[in-house]
Amino acid sequence: MLSQNDQPSWQLARRYLQVANGLLIPGYLLVAVALYGAFLYAPTEREMGDVQRIFYFHMGTAWNAFLTFFGVFVAGITYLITRQSKWDRLAAACAEIGMVFTTIVMVTGSIWAKPIWNTWWAWGDPRLMTTMVLWLLYAAYFLLRSSLPEGDKKYQFCAVFGIIAFLDVPIVYMSIRWWRTIHPVVITSSGAGLATEMIHALIVSLIAMTVLCVTLVTLRTAMRLNASLADELFQQLDQRGDERL
Amino acid sequence: MNQVALTWILAEKDLKVAYRSPQAFLTTGFFALLILVIFNFAFDPGSQATREATPGILWVALLFPGIIQLNHSFQAEMEEGTLYGLILSPTDRGVLFFGKVLANWVFLVVVDLFVLVVFVIFYNFSFSVQMLWVVLIIVLASVGFAAVGTVFAAMLSSIRTREVLLPILLFPIIIPIILAAVNGTQEVLILEEAQFLHRWLQLLIAFDVIFLASGFLLFDYVVAE
Amino acid sequence: MRAVLNLDLEVCTGDFLAIFGPNGAGKTTLLKMVAGLTQPTSGDIQFTSQDGHSGRERVGYVSHQSFLYNELTGIENLIFYGRLYGVGEVRERADAMLVKMGLRDARHRKVGEYSRGMKQRLTLARALLHEPDLLLLDEPYTGLDQHGSRLFTEVLQGLKEEGRTVLLITHNLGAGLELCSRVVIQNKGELVFQASRRQLDASEFERLYFQAVEGKKNLESRIQNSEV
Repeated sequence: MLSQNDQPSWQLARRYLQVANGLLIPGYLLVAVALYGAFLYAPTEREMGDVQRIFYFHMGTAWNAFLTFFGVFVAGITYLITRQSKWDRLAAACAEIGMVFTTIVMVTGSIWAKPIWNTWWAWGDPRLMTTMVLWLLYAAYFLLRSSLPEGDKKYQFCAVFGIIAFLDVPIVYMSIRWWRTIHPVVITSSGAGLATEMIHALIVSLIAMTVLCVTLVTLRTAMRLNASLADELFQQLDQRGDERL
Repeated sequence: MNQVALTWILAEKDLKVAYRSPQAFLTTGFFALLILVIFNFAFDPGSQATREATPGILWVALLFPGIIQLNHSFQAEMEEGTLYGLILSPTDRGVLFFGKVLANWVFLVVVDLFVLVVFVIFYNFSFSVQMLWVVLIIVLASVGFAAVGTVFAAMLSSIRTREVLLPILLFPIIIPIILAAVNGTQEVLILEEAQFLHRWLQLLIAFDVIFLASGFLLFDYVVAE
Repeated sequence: MRAVLNLDLEVCTGDFLAIFGPNGAGKTTLLKMVAGLTQPTSGDIQFTSQDGHSGRERVGYVSHQSFLYNELTGIENLIFYGRLYGVGEVRERADAMLVKMGLRDARHRKVGEYSRGMKQRLTLARALLHEPDLLLLDEPYTGLDQHGSRLFTEVLQGLKEEGRTVLLITHNLGAGLELCSRVVIQNKGELVFQASRRQLDASEFERLYFQAVEGKKNLESRIQNSEV
């Protein structure tokens, strides 16, 4: 829904698209370099073998999954302060990409875990558990969104949920960690250090995934802005049509 | 009229209304009872493993009916539009929040204590002084549960699918409460020494403070039209 | 979708304004904005020397929902709201209000047992308890039978004589005209007609209403024609 508070959204959507377009080429290059780094440049891990290479993307995706959640949080607060619906578009885009990334983290984590720890799902690992809670929070966010009709009320409520959820995540992480120090799990991650080349590969991968994430978020925000504009135009056409009758 | 008095007036109104039409209370209590019974059938009553799982069983029996209770607290306000009556009044939104949280907390604790008594009987614990620690856990956990639950229940009060949405929104958020409450109860009931109980109590208190504060600040946005 | 647009309305103290219009015209939204329940997306609501935001205690609101607690008695409801609005000597005022509305005998009965008419009168009592400067009524005649409507109109007449400022949304053209000092017709969010009561002929009004609602242009051309 547009309100008097909204800036001319066409321009805003176009600006987002420009940013996304600008990031595309660097993004592709970085991802290419990261792939090279992960699969060719970095040495094979001694204990875990080639499966470990998934780690480079696992880390990058995980970091971004939480980064986008922070995005939802900040966009939510900004919406509550400014009441401009564009912030809700940004929040929704962040949540979309965030959910995709979180799913990828859990899947890559499982693929990694099975050969190493002989289990698909490592109950009790604080990071895995927190990531799962993150996934549940994203899912809840979208279920809430889909139950509300477009309008200020929806944006407000989603902002409130996003804020509460974000505040909750660190508490969840800490509770699980306390829980696990009291009841330690047999499964521990190998404490082996990283070779220098591995660190290089990791850093490139992190940057690449972050650029990818930002590109996707800006793209989706632009799409959502345009979609809501199109909706508004259709509604105006409908109203004019009614008036003619 | 000062804020504290107003908070009490709001809570008292809810308590009075509930006292005179206790259906919600009774259904909540009965549902909890049912859960305890079902778990009796679901797990082998004699085994040690079940014994160790009893804190978890208790908290499932406390939390799921608790959600129903929370939903109902705003359900009742939708019937004659009394929620609008409250919003239209010059009462500060923060006071509305605390009034509701207070009333919900009282309801939760009352039902929970009843459930605890049944639990002790069904699972063969003793009504010892140790139980007071469990009562404390219940009291503290219910504060945080009521705080976040009130915010979400208010938000969802105008939505058709509120009954299924409230658990979906609330349960992930209260995972720290679940961990602290179950583990704390375990420390008291199952383990030889309650070494870490204080840790869990601290976690509950921290959670309560953080979400009472956030709920207070955000309640404005949740009851707006 | 905009519920209300291009609305410029001035109400003076002591005005009794009747607001007519078809369903979905935005009348309720208009009233909600005056009450402070909804924020306007542009423009603002001003009370003579005070803007709408802090004015909630100066407004009394009656809608077709009663805002009453069915499990509480009549007097308990009034005392509750009285306290929320910071009314002094709540018990005495509540008693007085119940007498005024003819509900004194029922005051210790649960509101759930009241008839529709009694509930509406108690709702009005609730809205007036804190002596609001402005009384807003959103289709209060809904669900009232002849007797209930008659009683309600009498009460409103009393308020008019007291010089209260009232905004009344109603589909009941007869009652509205009987009570009001000014008329406004709203359609599709806009004010399509405004006049003071004196300018209107009650018997002609229904026709005028349909003209106003069927098209602003139509109305203008008809007025022009009649002037010619």
